[in-house]
Amino acid sequence: MSRTRTLVSELRSRLGAADPLPPAPAVPDIPPPPARVFPVVLERGRFAQAAAKHTTALVGIGQVGSRYATDVVLQFQAELAVAHEAVNTELPDEWGEGHALLPLRSRVTDHREFLLRPDLGRRLDDDSLARLRERADRDPDVQLILADGLSAVACVGSGLDLMSHMTRECEARGWRVGTPVCAKFARVWLEDEIGEEVGAKVAVIILGERPGLGTGDGLSAYVVHGPRVGNTDGNRNMMSNIHQRGTPPNQAAQRLALLIDAMMTQGTSGVGLDLTGLADLGEAAGTGYRAPQVRERLVEMDR
Amino acid sequence: MMLEPILPQVLSVRRIPNADRAMLEAYGANPDRHCALGLVTCDQDDALYVALDEATKHAPVSVVYARSFYAGAAHASGRLSGEILGVLAGANPDEVDEGLDALLRCLQHDACFYDADGHGTVTVFPHVITSLGHYLSREAGLAVGDAMAYLVAPPIEAAIALDAALKAADVRAAKIFPPPTETNFSAAWLSGSLPACEAAAMAYAEAVVDVATRPLDR
Repeated sequence: MSRTRTLVSELRSRLGAADPLPPAPAVPDIPPPPARVFPVVLERGRFAQAAAKHTTALVGIGQVGSRYATDVVLQFQAELAVAHEAVNTELPDEWGEGHALLPLRSRVTDHREFLLRPDLGRRLDDDSLARLRERADRDPDVQLILADGLSAVACVGSGLDLMSHMTRECEARGWRVGTPVCAKFARVWLEDEIGEEVGAKVAVIILGERPGLGTGDGLSAYVVHGPRVGNTDGNRNMMSNIHQRGTPPNQAAQRLALLIDAMMTQGTSGVGLDLTGLADLGEAAGTGYRAPQVRERLVEMDR
Repeated sequence: MMLEPILPQVLSVRRIPNADRAMLEAYGANPDRHCALGLVTCDQDDALYVALDEATKHAPVSVVYARSFYAGAAHASGRLSGEILGVLAGANPDEVDEGLDALLRCLQHDACFYDADGHGTVTVFPHVITSLGHYLSREAGLAVGDAMAYLVAPPIEAAIALDAALKAADVRAAKIFPPPTETNFSAAWLSGSLPACEAAAMAYAEAVVDVATRPLDR
């Protein structure tokens, strides 16, 4: 109803008009804005349904109209946030020393520079180089390096676990393991300089890998035979997804030991390494029963 | 009969679903944001200004063009010209449609001139906008959601009545259009609280009626 018309009508009778104005026509109902409500359609494909029970990948998530369901979107965003957080976490300066590792540092000065300048992350700074020369054992068979890489969360989380499994596996095979070191702001190729300095036969760098959705805790191990500055990725072998939902650390250590064994025997690594001998991993294959992997719920929603 | 509503006649309502870029630019729309135009002509310019503003409250549309024609509806260039052309622009035709629906609703039920002398020879537009939309708030320099009294009358009536309105309530003049405007009327936009705007508008209407009834009575 028009406010102005009501007021004018009142004014009119105040001014002495005897006959009331005809009432203004009623305003028609204003229809609500058009909105379509789509039902949640659960996954119909039998293959996807079955696969979804065994993987944390985004399969079998159903649909709402032509889009994802809200809880799927929220979960996706929460997992992305986990990944961002892992990248943005910095390894505390005193962490390595506090866990009986020789603390080293690349030429990077701050975390932002670390993300922007991979080249600086591949070389040791002068203090670290001096410390390495002074305190590290010379000429070991295997030099183990723990590093933050792109996820300090993973390094702090299961890095020490994997280091101790690796040490045990190597010593069980009679290899001499070098002084364990911890490198901050490290890229993969830093293993070349460290390994070359101590004169190791094989260098292994274990570092937090670039986080994916919900996997901020994944470790990767890069192994190189005859480390020297100037090696490329073609000289390296690597293993990724070392975390509880991927390859657990103890199993990863077994497989890495087999890989190092092959390198020692053949005297090379990378594309030159013949891996056919590793077709049968034996115990390290881990083909026994494993409980289905479940996506960790970061968001709870009532349907 | 005194102060009877004189309902505005909508003379044409048309839509251009996908207007040409040059056309959009010529009428003040932004081709990057707007695609569809809605065009309206009406025989009461001020009622349509209010209705265009109403449309911006109901749909994501912009008032890109609104101009009165010279000397008003009685001297129109054609049967459909009336005294104003208003243009709404939106990102798609549906939004323009929503805006036009709100605009027509406002013209039919709300904004209109009133007969001030019982013969239809003097008219007054003492309109109260309870909540401004994007268009008039920008034109008046007020905030969206403010109340405003939109007051129009012929020159002498408007002058006397504006003085009465400003004295009747705690309002200030946001904008005054002294005569002659395009249509030879005179207008004023007053802002204040809603009750103040209502009191001012009714004082304005009453003063116009008074002048119309006793034009030679000093």
